[in-house]
Amino acid sequence: MTSPGDAAPVKPPPSFSPGVPRVSSKTRYPERRDSSASLDPERVEPRIASPPTIPLSNTTDLPIRSGSPSARSVRSTTPQIGRTSLGSPLDGRADSALDTRSLIIRSFSPVVGVYSSPDTDELVRQKGFKGGFWELIRPFGENVPGKLVIRDSIGSSRGWEDYGVRFVDLGEICRAPNDPNQGRSSPLAQVEAVLAKQLDSTDGPPSGAIHPQDLVGLSSTSPLYKLYLRQLLSIASVSPHETFRHPVASVIAISSRNSAPLESLRQLYADTNNGQRKVPEWIHPEYLRYYVLVHDEDRDDITASTKLYDQMKRHFGLHCHLLRLRSNQCVVTDDDSVQVPECEWLSPSERLSERPEPLVDLDSDGLLYLFDSDVMAIKGFVRELIAQSVVPFMENRVAVWNDQVASRRRGISGRFMSMSRKWAGFGSSSRSSSGSGGASGNYNVSQGYYHYDHSEAILRKMADYAFMLRDWKLAASTYELLRSDYANDKAWKYHAGAYEMCAVSTLLNPLGAGSKIKVEAIDQMFDTACYSYLTRCSDAPTTLRCLTLAVELLRSRGGSAAESAAKWAMRAMDLGLVESVGQGLLSERISSCYASRPPPNGVRFGGRRRKAGMWSLFAADMWLRLGKPALASACLEEAERLYADVLGSDGVFPMPEMQTFVDNLRLSVKVGYLEARGLDIKEETGSTDPLDDEETSEKLDRRMNRRSLIGNLNPLDTATLAQLQTTRDGDSVPSDDFERA
Amino acid sequence: MSHPPRRSSMLSTSSSAQTVTPSEKQVPPQPQLQTPTQSNPGLRVPSNRKTIYDRHLNRSRNAESSRASFAFLFGEMVTYAQRRVTGIQDLERRLNEQGYPLGLRLLDLLFYRTMSSSSSSALSSSSTSASPPNRPLRILPLLHLIHGPLWRLLFNRPADALEHSVSPDTPNEYMITDNDPLVNSYISVPKEMNQLNCAAYVAGIIEGVCDGCGFEAKVTAHNQPTELWPSRTIFLLRFGESVMEREKVLERAGVK
Amino acid sequence: MSYYFTILSPTDVPLFNIAFGTSKSGGDGIARFRFPDAAQNTYMTQFIIHSSLDMLEEAQWMGGNMYLKHIDTYPPASAYISAFLTPSGTRFLLLHQPPQPNLPASGAAGAGGSIGSSTMSLSSSGMGGSGLFGGSGMGSSGRTSSSSIAANPTAPQTEEAVRQFMTEVYEGYVKTVMSPFYKRGMEIRSPVFRSKVSAAGRKWL
Repeated sequence: MTSPGDAAPVKPPPSFSPGVPRVSSKTRYPERRDSSASLDPERVEPRIASPPTIPLSNTTDLPIRSGSPSARSVRSTTPQIGRTSLGSPLDGRADSALDTRSLIIRSFSPVVGVYSSPDTDELVRQKGFKGGFWELIRPFGENVPGKLVIRDSIGSSRGWEDYGVRFVDLGEICRAPNDPNQGRSSPLAQVEAVLAKQLDSTDGPPSGAIHPQDLVGLSSTSPLYKLYLRQLLSIASVSPHETFRHPVASVIAISSRNSAPLESLRQLYADTNNGQRKVPEWIHPEYLRYYVLVHDEDRDDITASTKLYDQMKRHFGLHCHLLRLRSNQCVVTDDDSVQVPECEWLSPSERLSERPEPLVDLDSDGLLYLFDSDVMAIKGFVRELIAQSVVPFMENRVAVWNDQVASRRRGISGRFMSMSRKWAGFGSSSRSSSGSGGASGNYNVSQGYYHYDHSEAILRKMADYAFMLRDWKLAASTYELLRSDYANDKAWKYHAGAYEMCAVSTLLNPLGAGSKIKVEAIDQMFDTACYSYLTRCSDAPTTLRCLTLAVELLRSRGGSAAESAAKWAMRAMDLGLVESVGQGLLSERISSCYASRPPPNGVRFGGRRRKAGMWSLFAADMWLRLGKPALASACLEEAERLYADVLGSDGVFPMPEMQTFVDNLRLSVKVGYLEARGLDIKEETGSTDPLDDEETSEKLDRRMNRRSLIGNLNPLDTATLAQLQTTRDGDSVPSDDFERA
Repeated sequence: MSHPPRRSSMLSTSSSAQTVTPSEKQVPPQPQLQTPTQSNPGLRVPSNRKTIYDRHLNRSRNAESSRASFAFLFGEMVTYAQRRVTGIQDLERRLNEQGYPLGLRLLDLLFYRTMSSSSSSALSSSSTSASPPNRPLRILPLLHLIHGPLWRLLFNRPADALEHSVSPDTPNEYMITDNDPLVNSYISVPKEMNQLNCAAYVAGIIEGVCDGCGFEAKVTAHNQPTELWPSRTIFLLRFGESVMEREKVLERAGVK
Repeated sequence: MSYYFTILSPTDVPLFNIAFGTSKSGGDGIARFRFPDAAQNTYMTQFIIHSSLDMLEEAQWMGGNMYLKHIDTYPPASAYISAFLTPSGTRFLLLHQPPQPNLPASGAAGAGGSIGSSTMSLSSSGMGGSGLFGGSGMGSSGRTSSSSIAANPTAPQTEEAVRQFMTEVYEGYVKTVMSPFYKRGMEIRSPVFRSKVSAAGRKWL
């Protein structure tokens, strides 16, 4: 059933070389995270692509690995925090910005609903997936294997390696508006809780999140920050004002066990149209339906299923798939078992509720396994679904809407129309309703949404589709178009969203097209978005998301944009949107924003080293107050590195209170660090104390007035500067009565 | 051999004039000069309650000091510097060091005076019409500052020439020529010391100005006698690597 | 408005510090800095000043003026830095912090009022709802508009007042420097100088 050739890439021998780069990340996050893969996303980078390789890094669970030499070396280097782990090849410097970009892009993936018949869920539950069919395919949607080619609105194609979709239980989408948070704590508090939890599990004394400072000196993104980012981008629930979480398509699945397959499919379809799976009226109901027949390889006859599948294709068209799965549960000891990859995009509440499971029943190690053949089948299904149905469907919708709605709006008449809307009653517009009171009247004020077939909603949907298809130019121009409409209607959340996404898509649009972005204009858009989100709509989570997007995207632009990024991060802290852990993370981020602006070649001014160093120190202070001395120590080290250029060779701050503060901080970090280490003796701690080199003598008389003002780098001449210094510090001629002024 | 009678305005800061020469240490300090920088609690305030902060910096700007007294003073400075020197180079180095702090001070004084003279004499006037002089950012403005205003402040006339090294190997070298340096007017150098040029003191001043402005430089004085100007002196300015690099960056940035 | 004035040598060594408050519009001349944490009061001013040297060094070579105007902002404490550079490279840095119109909201949501107060010198003109935003910014600062200086740290009047202050300090500084007993890089400890500076502060700020 499984060909050995298929298994090869999935389960390489212990000496598999790609394991080596992972050593570094493990050095930083040794313990629990290996099995829980909680902070793993950086390992699941699109370029590494194939999800099944992830479990290989699992030291504790796979005995075969722990015997391998590389695994042993991991253990021994674990306790050494500090720069020992820096030299690993995978900590690529340049990738950092691209990584965050990719992360942001992938967070805006199309949503595909899943609606399966009870018999399908039953089949899948036998395999150990309690959540049914949706849970089974969910992790595989996040990374579409291979390159995906997307055509943009002007007809040029581009391939993407990191494309993915989000499988969502269709019922959840339909339920969503009724109980937004189900009385649970706010999403932001949940994010904070996830972070705190993550910290507690990783911040065993010796580990701590040591930031992969790359060799070039640009700070890259710490894994913890990535987790924060990912969580923040995952909290958005279905809401009227943006359509990213609205289903683009829905998978309707039945199994070969179904006695009346075609009728079941019809019933399921009917449910999505007007039954219990009917979407709210601000969601466009004409999403793609995709029909899947799950064939039970272990119990059912394939010829019967094939026959049924042919019937399905006749009735429902091309958007069908025959998925062949085994219904037996796979256990780790099976020959061709493959661990099910972790979901990359779990919402904070899911993370909080699901995480303990693997910890509780460690015997069955809580991890799910699939037969290799199943994995291949699911992957093939996902790829076919997305490449042949979902993406073409979206491309088509964008083209149609662009033609029918947007171009009219963009044209002269469209402009006139939008003008006339402002003056109520001038010329009846060709659209469904005529304006009143300066607004189009399409906006349902009491409920706060546009009906799905109003042009404002369709344009927004088109822009979002374009955005998800990574046609940022079209997206940006469409959002721009929408901004004034929403303002006229006082649809503030829509308004904020349009400004936010307009700025985001402008920033995502690659520089190539000679489009020099103006930071001021971008800042202005974020400013407006923020104001509308927070003040007009009191939507703190979305405000924070908006600000964080601003920070990350501006930062990735570099130069003066990075400076602006730092300011947005400060704004986020200032508005009280983040709590303690978030404050620490954002401080680190501000530091790295400033650090990403090095002075131009040849001169010593123009950098932002002092600012970067300052924020790093503040971050250290915050971590310390949170009781995370390991993190604080890392920040302190980073601060020292950043300050190295601007302080004298003795590393002493010229200003006394600053020095006192730093000295105290160092001492407390050291004490805290040693205490934490003392509590856990089991951990083999490295002999090298990472703080040793941070000891600085408390010299009170710091460097006296240097004679040369700038030339201390390369004193020109021995006769003047250098000798002056030596003569002052005690000449060879002590009785010299020659004095200097 | 015409020596136009030049008056030195070098020490023209009147009562606080002694400050300009670094060798003042040996002169018994006058109490009213001493007060402001003393750290001891028993601050000695002069009897007339006038500290240096109460004196106007511009009052003496047009006052001139006697050339004779300057010649005498400078002679003493050379003598002082000559004690236990190891050679001519050492002597020149000491003279240079004496000039250096003067350069730094003159820089501030020069800008202060230009600033306050361009606006009305009273600083408190709220007239904003006069724009204060610019700090030199590039080498050329700096050299013009030395060649013109600084020389005028010191010697009441501009320097005689300003040249750039023609050699491609030394683009960082510039020369300022003084046909008849005041400091050398009354100094006759013995034959065995004919390499010596006491204008090393002035070179030190220039160095102080350059360094103060942020242009790391090494300045030396060299004898270049001509028929007409037997004590013609060339001040050779060699700017440091960092300065030259910055020049390139600033040029690209369009800074003048 | 609270002020913290520092003179730094070209090698960042502090030569002189003074903290004072505004004497205009009924101010009592006492500095009241607000930082998120009271413990920060001792070092925050110095950190902010020190970090603004990054901006100063850049401004130093981008223009030849001695008065560099407002060069940096530290949004979390809404602290503004103005700088003056003597030709010999000594830096005069003035940190000014306007009185807080409304305290920053600590709650996550509905903290709209604090947006205006923390406006980060983005130009708030232009499109969409930004008019309203700009309006709220103006409103928060307009409350203290009786003194033109305290109102807005980046307003032209403020820049001019700071320039006057700096120029007056510069005069005292030159006099200090001319003293033979003052060596370069030495701390300025003269009480006369200090009183001159605070007099200039009272006069202009």
